[in-house]
Amino acid sequence: MKTRSLKKKKILSGIGTYTVLIVMAVIVLIPILWMVSTSVKLESETITIPPQWIPDHPTLESYKRLWSEYPFAVYFKNSIIISLGAVILSVGFSCLAGYGVTRFRFRGKQSFLTFLLVTQMFPSIMMLIPYYKVLSTYQLKDTYLGMILVYISFTIPFCSWMMVGFFKTIPLELDEAAIIDGCSRWRAFRQIVLPMTLPGISSSAIYAFITAWNEYMFAQILINNPELKTVPLGIAELNGFYKILWNDMMAASVIASLPLIILFVFLQKYFISGLTAGAVKQ
Amino acid sequence: MSLQRKDKPSFNNRALNMRQITPYLFITPAIIALAALVVYPLLYGMYISLFETNLANKWNFVGVKNYLSIFSDSDFFNRIWITLKFTFLVILIHFLLGILLGIALNRKGKTITFFRVILILPWLMPDVVVALIFKWLLNPLYGLINNALLDWGAIESNISWLSDEFWAFFCIVAVAVWKGYPLVMVNVLAALQSVSSDIYEAAKVDGASGLQTLLRVILPSIKPVLTTTLILDTVWWFKHYTIIQLLTKGGPGNDTSIISIEIYKQAFEYFKYGKAAAISVVVFLICLLITKLYRRFLESED
Repeated sequence: MKTRSLKKKKILSGIGTYTVLIVMAVIVLIPILWMVSTSVKLESETITIPPQWIPDHPTLESYKRLWSEYPFAVYFKNSIIISLGAVILSVGFSCLAGYGVTRFRFRGKQSFLTFLLVTQMFPSIMMLIPYYKVLSTYQLKDTYLGMILVYISFTIPFCSWMMVGFFKTIPLELDEAAIIDGCSRWRAFRQIVLPMTLPGISSSAIYAFITAWNEYMFAQILINNPELKTVPLGIAELNGFYKILWNDMMAASVIASLPLIILFVFLQKYFISGLTAGAVKQ
Repeated sequence: MSLQRKDKPSFNNRALNMRQITPYLFITPAIIALAALVVYPLLYGMYISLFETNLANKWNFVGVKNYLSIFSDSDFFNRIWITLKFTFLVILIHFLLGILLGIALNRKGKTITFFRVILILPWLMPDVVVALIFKWLLNPLYGLINNALLDWGAIESNISWLSDEFWAFFCIVAVAVWKGYPLVMVNVLAALQSVSSDIYEAAKVDGASGLQTLLRVILPSIKPVLTTTLILDTVWWFKHYTIIQLLTKGGPGNDTSIISIEIYKQAFEYFKYGKAAAISVVVFLICLLITKLYRRFLESED
């Protein structure tokens, strides 16, 4: 009797779970699909009443225009350079920090870890005005390097924190054995321990990439040169035109979201485990 | 091996020094980066807040005058109030949804992986894109939402959601919820996966109801993660800018004028950098206070 009611309960809870998931998935998907649908419409079809989900004449014109009429190729190049720069620096720095923190005892270690967490609590808008001034002082305004530096200031703390979690899961005996076998510290780090933290490196990289790729507020203030504008700036600009071409704007939005979605679908397993490692640390 | 680990006096000097320096070599790059890119701008921001300045050739030291002018301004309190209201609603719904979905996703299977990917999508999309999609959905004339609601007879005439005094605020909350809940969901999920599922099973066998299991077993087991997520999520949304700037620019009137929009305006529209920096410092102090309160409240609960 008891097992039967338990089974019944399980089925009911299963139905409940899936209902919740399906409802939420619909709420998430409607705006996204609407973006895709609008992006393949002609301008005249974007303003039909009632709105159509599937246009009569689907077309990729808007996508073509992004490259021919708007400078999205330039925006893309800029976004890629800045985001990759931020990824490389933040992953590099945080791997070193993660190894250092987990492999050695040293003074100030606990304060370093606390500091990493505390920096997350500074509202980034507080940095906006100082950066505006500091970057112009050092002639870094309107440069790739300037933007990369701003973005790694957001990403290094969180990435380091994740990497500390990952390095912790790798037994110390491993580097000790390598060092006894005559490896230098550096080689033990680079060739033995580092390759084992690949999931951690992936999640830090995704986090840094998403942060840099999506950022708008700082880019808006710190980039004036049209040659250096990033994708979010380009899209927001379409919003400022006298007449908003929704199909073009949605095509640009699709293109801006796609790299992240693809990246995530491939690396999602790593990403969840990355957060888990961070969670264990807490 | 044990010989090597103990710092015996016979250990030669060079090796000993190496040992003390090496850890710092590893963390130095991160420390330098954070000192130069976080601590320095932060202190510099506080410095600017004491001046009346155009950030170039005019630097009049005014002491705390900027702060006094902020606190004598009732608009400022109004904006803080809007920001608090906004943050509170957004975080509350993030956590309700995030916990519910995190628990729902904590099982195995191909379908679940599918839902995981779908439900995390909003978090992956740029703020700018999210803002503009919703601006389009909420478009008074051609927007999907008005047309669907008219169709179903839920409303009788088109609503200009984003310029309506009543609706604009709820619209930005809704968009912020849509964009931000996956962070809580993913953290809850990750935390649940690191907790052994035995304790949930045990609670079930003991005859605990679903709600009891949730409140007494599941949530306490992931409380550290929830606390950290709560703090981060609060700080992030308290100072959020992009979505609101693109949807309403703080309007209609000042109904959605949250504090970062105000900082932006003071600095880059009115060029009152000193005052804007002072407001930033106040925002920072408020975030710090909220963090402290959370800590005290959540940690004394045990």
